[in-house]
Amino acid sequence: MKILTTVKRVTDPDMKVRIQPDQSGIVTEGVEYKMNSFDEYGVEEAITLKEAHGGEVVVVSIGPGAATKELRTAMAMGADRAILVETDADLDSDAVARVLAEVVGREEPDVIIMGKQAVDSDRSQTPQILGSYLNWPQATFAYKVEIEDGWAVVGREVDGGTATKRIKLPGIISADLRLNEPRYASLPGIMKAKRKPLETLTPDDLGVDIAPKVKVLNYEAPEERGAGEMVDDVDDLINRLKDEARVI
Amino acid sequence: MTDLFNPTEEHQVLREMVRSFAEKELEPQAEEYDRTEQFNLKLFRKLGELGLLGVTAPPEYGGSGMDATAAVIVHEELAAVDPGFCLAYLAHSMLFVNNLAVNGNDEQNQRFLPGSCSGKLVGGMCMSEPGAGTDVLGMSTVATSDGDDFILNGQKMWITNGAISDNEMGDIFLVYAKEKDRSQREISLFLVEKGMEGFSLGQKLHGKLGMRASTTAELVLEDVRVPSKNLVGTSGSAVKSMMRNLAIERVTLAAMSLGIARRCVEIMNNYASERKAFGKSINRFGQIQRHISESYAEFMAGRSYVYNVASNLDLSAFGNRVDSDGVKLYCSTMGKNVADRAIQVLGGYGYVSEYVVERLWRDAKLLEIGGGTNEAHQKNMTRDLAGLDKIR
Repeated sequence: MKILTTVKRVTDPDMKVRIQPDQSGIVTEGVEYKMNSFDEYGVEEAITLKEAHGGEVVVVSIGPGAATKELRTAMAMGADRAILVETDADLDSDAVARVLAEVVGREEPDVIIMGKQAVDSDRSQTPQILGSYLNWPQATFAYKVEIEDGWAVVGREVDGGTATKRIKLPGIISADLRLNEPRYASLPGIMKAKRKPLETLTPDDLGVDIAPKVKVLNYEAPEERGAGEMVDDVDDLINRLKDEARVI
Repeated sequence: MTDLFNPTEEHQVLREMVRSFAEKELEPQAEEYDRTEQFNLKLFRKLGELGLLGVTAPPEYGGSGMDATAAVIVHEELAAVDPGFCLAYLAHSMLFVNNLAVNGNDEQNQRFLPGSCSGKLVGGMCMSEPGAGTDVLGMSTVATSDGDDFILNGQKMWITNGAISDNEMGDIFLVYAKEKDRSQREISLFLVEKGMEGFSLGQKLHGKLGMRASTTAELVLEDVRVPSKNLVGTSGSAVKSMMRNLAIERVTLAAMSLGIARRCVEIMNNYASERKAFGKSINRFGQIQRHISESYAEFMAGRSYVYNVASNLDLSAFGNRVDSDGVKLYCSTMGKNVADRAIQVLGGYGYVSEYVVERLWRDAKLLEIGGGTNEAHQKNMTRDLAGLDKIR
């Protein structure tokens, strides 16, 4: 089975994000980058499936040259080879999906497993848009994946509970938090990853126009949250929620 | 981006992995193991699964085959979260595993390295004695040749990993002993195993100021019969092995001070930007600015020195003593001072365990003593520097 998985290089979610004074973006000086944490679940699941069913794990990233670090990390975890589609541009989800659709056309994987969203922009769009471009079935927000006889049975996190969906492969699965516990890249894995193949392409090589369809007008920091208040008892809390907050 | 601190992509990935491991697995247990003075053996074995216990050992013996810089990265990252646990790691991976990998023969490496790289065996090194520390060649543990064997007698003190619990000793030790009736410089190195008759745990030391998540023990050798296949190198020639291993020991101890200092700078910096006094953040006051800025500058100076020395450190060579002593001399005191300033910036909060810096402060002090006292470094460095007319 050939499994394609994706990783995005994102700003460290544990750092405080600061907006540039002209609101054109976030401050990137001194910012650390790491693999999108939802993609860690995707990579882990891809490797687990390979361990169970055999085959190959190909990991793809779209981003700057420095994203080879995130690809090496995925290969140190156990992915077999990597493809970097190199660009310094900030792509919208549609452009990401079109680039990935071209990579999928070349690689012809049996299944694609990707993080449900990236923790920097939190858009949660790419897996779904990619599904429409490929005309492949999709099962998003997976907490459990089982593959048998060319089908994937996917347990999904949905509003108000869970649901199970069965999709015919090839298909797309997007990973949620409870799917697994991503392994660490071990030292022997890191040394092995050094010798695994990493191919670099550009959007041009794939014939994809990455000009954005979505235009970002400006970035603004959310309003600062005020301090909490202690209330005397439950009745007081209910009254305040009713009369002041007007939420119940 | 690669730089002095992360010279290759492998080093970057390694740092990220160890940092993530430290934050997720070490942080939640650090306070408890410090308070109860226990060694977390289960977590130690996890380091084996990740290939960290044999970071510098050759892959054919189960190691990861990385360089001195990689060892420095691991120590910096572990010590930023839990220096006590990191010290146990250092005693095992540097003083035992790296020491044997560099100085042992193939048969000895085959016998002991796979188990110690996986974490099945907990190892340590025995040099100091109750009456001999800085004056290491003044040791009185003695090896007497007896047919094909050696008989060892003496006491070893301040042995990290000497115990794994209150009454159970570590598994395997590299023990320095002088040869009976030979000159004081003729030291030999032996592999002494738990279970050898006459080899016992004298006491696990209690009431340490810091580094409480690692064990410190006194080990006793009473007529311990050690077969000659456990002699590392040739009889009487271990001073060279000792010097070689002391270099990486001191560089990685200095790396621990870097981890402590970095964490303290982060904590005081974040606190000072949030804590307000007289209507503004306390980092707007000159007194606090001095603590933070000097700490950062000293940390970065020490960090640059350590990584520069590590990048030139050949694990199998010796003779780089001025700088391997120098990094530890500088960084140990730097780490202690930075931790002290962090407590000062946090005020009362800095003095209680919840804010971590009091533990780091206690741990930082050990690095001015263990693995060579600052006075030993001053002595060694000055002796070696006296032979130099100019510094290139």
